[in-house]
Amino acid sequence: MNDAANTDRWIRWLNTVQLVLAGIIIMAPTVWMVLSSFKPSFEVTAYPPTLVFTPTLENYAELTKTTPFLSYALNSLIVTVGSTSLGLLFGIPAAFAVSWTRITWPAILTLAARMAPGTLFLLPWYVMFRQIGMIGSYTALILSHAVITLPIVIWVLLPSFDAIPRSVFEAAQVDGCSVTRILWRIAMPLVASGVAVSAILAFVFSWNYFLFALVLSNGDTKTLIAAAFNFIGEGSTQWGALMAAATLIALPPLVLAALVQRWLVSGLTLGAVKG
Amino acid sequence: MASISIRNLTKRYGNFTVIPDLNLEIADHEFVVFVGPSGCGKSTLLRIIAGLEPISGGDLYIGDKRVNGVQAAQRDIAMVFQDYALYPHMRVYDNMSFALELRGTPKAEIDARVKRAAALLHIEPYLDRKPKELSGGQRQRVAMGRAIVRNPKAFLFDEPLSNLDAKLRGQVRAEIKALSQQLKTTMVFVTHDQIEAMTMADRIVVLQSGAIQQYDTPETVYERPANQFVAGFIGSPAMNFFAVEWHDDCAILSQGGTAVPVDGETASSLRRAGNALLGIRPEHFTVATNAADGIAIEVKLVEPLGSDTLIHFDLAGISAIARIDPSLRPKVGDRLALRPQPGKTHLFDATNGQVLR
Repeated sequence: MNDAANTDRWIRWLNTVQLVLAGIIIMAPTVWMVLSSFKPSFEVTAYPPTLVFTPTLENYAELTKTTPFLSYALNSLIVTVGSTSLGLLFGIPAAFAVSWTRITWPAILTLAARMAPGTLFLLPWYVMFRQIGMIGSYTALILSHAVITLPIVIWVLLPSFDAIPRSVFEAAQVDGCSVTRILWRIAMPLVASGVAVSAILAFVFSWNYFLFALVLSNGDTKTLIAAAFNFIGEGSTQWGALMAAATLIALPPLVLAALVQRWLVSGLTLGAVKG
Repeated sequence: MASISIRNLTKRYGNFTVIPDLNLEIADHEFVVFVGPSGCGKSTLLRIIAGLEPISGGDLYIGDKRVNGVQAAQRDIAMVFQDYALYPHMRVYDNMSFALELRGTPKAEIDARVKRAAALLHIEPYLDRKPKELSGGQRQRVAMGRAIVRNPKAFLFDEPLSNLDAKLRGQVRAEIKALSQQLKTTMVFVTHDQIEAMTMADRIVVLQSGAIQQYDTPETVYERPANQFVAGFIGSPAMNFFAVEWHDDCAILSQGGTAVPVDGETASSLRRAGNALLGIRPEHFTVATNAADGIAIEVKLVEPLGSDTLIHFDLAGISAIARIDPSLRPKVGDRLALRPQPGKTHLFDATNGQVLR
């Protein structure tokens, strides 16, 4: 009995150590980014890095003075909300259809598209959008970002739909429901948390996606993450402003994830165990 | 309310034929039970009637209407599922009113029908609860309530009692039977439990490998089984079968040559056939007072059930069971003389298992 208690204590201690180490590895760059954004510009690249410094908002002031930050933020919001909505609009029925028919190849195809490097799509899209005069439009950015959001929605929702007993759908069929109605009246309320989770994940991934916005946007539609790239110049990178921009860019997804973290975990593991 | 007519129905999954060629007529208001072992096609047949499985060949009529390609939603059939299949996010009331709402039934009528069904099933106190807040038996009643409110052409039940404990199963079984008599609607009930089949059905369909073995009243299926499969499937414990021959004007066990006292009808059938399988239900043995009047056996195992006692014994290489009066208090190793009750023995063709009359 004592041995078992000792083993348990050791396992708990090892788990804690592992979690702390993992936390440090994951959080160190983020902490460094946030701290650097509050350092005077000459201290940002100082070596060894200074841990004690007088915090300043000069990088944030520089950021708002030299760039139309709010306008970029609005662009990011439009593209992210647009592509997330598009992902949900097509991803929800797609995931339901895959679950209903048990034909999985369309879902695998979207996953393959997500796995493929973004550059694979970039050139054809650039040519296509240029030919129809859509380069620099929100539509081009939203459509391209749907490649990010659609697979997320489908693959997060698929296990949620699969977890609903088949007989519930069949009962609805016998009750007089069409397949569309089964989706909206029966399945959707049962996968609501999965939908919320997929929406948040799609939002975060789209918000953070850099490549498409860099090539397909113009000065009016540039997203925050693409605009932040402007601070990296040849030989003279504005590290302080870049860190301030990165901190602000990271804020919405972090706040969103923190607000719904409990929901996020339960949503991601939904369908793993039928109960 | 409607009759159900199945004509030359076939069901295949790829190259695998589940139902080869099935004909069945279920009369209006009739309570029919499909019974058979796992994989016999009974649930498939029920799902075909419900419209949840497409038909590979043949015709299905509900009332006068051919419904082969008609969607489940348009068949006006209600079904109670094995796992109840209640909508987890809806209250009991909404579960029951959902189908009526889809049909555009006026709110006042929906309310009246739900409350009437709830009263009938004693679930009025639970109307505002979600399914997860109910016990298995209560969920079962809600599932039935959901079917009842619709006043459908027919009710289909897919092993609805299999998730209930033994006591509750018996109670709900009686309730469903009472309900069927009250509602006077066509009901089709699937079960692998022959007691459910016997106690509830107006007529039983015994299925094996997608083919109907017998379709008749419970009494007839029990008393006059059409073949060895039905005889062995209906009745608990199952019927005992012994290979017998007609030899020197007497029925004898093929193995061991022991004489078996049989009635005149069985004797004449066996005389014609030469050899056959003799079927005797455990409850149709009598313990003979005179050893010469029965078959001598040695008791191998005793199972006291209270109302009766089951004794296990070996006869002609077969492990057999007899149900006897518990007051005899048999013990393992006792030697008894068993005699088949006259008129209660069954004779089956030794090659194809069909009954010999």
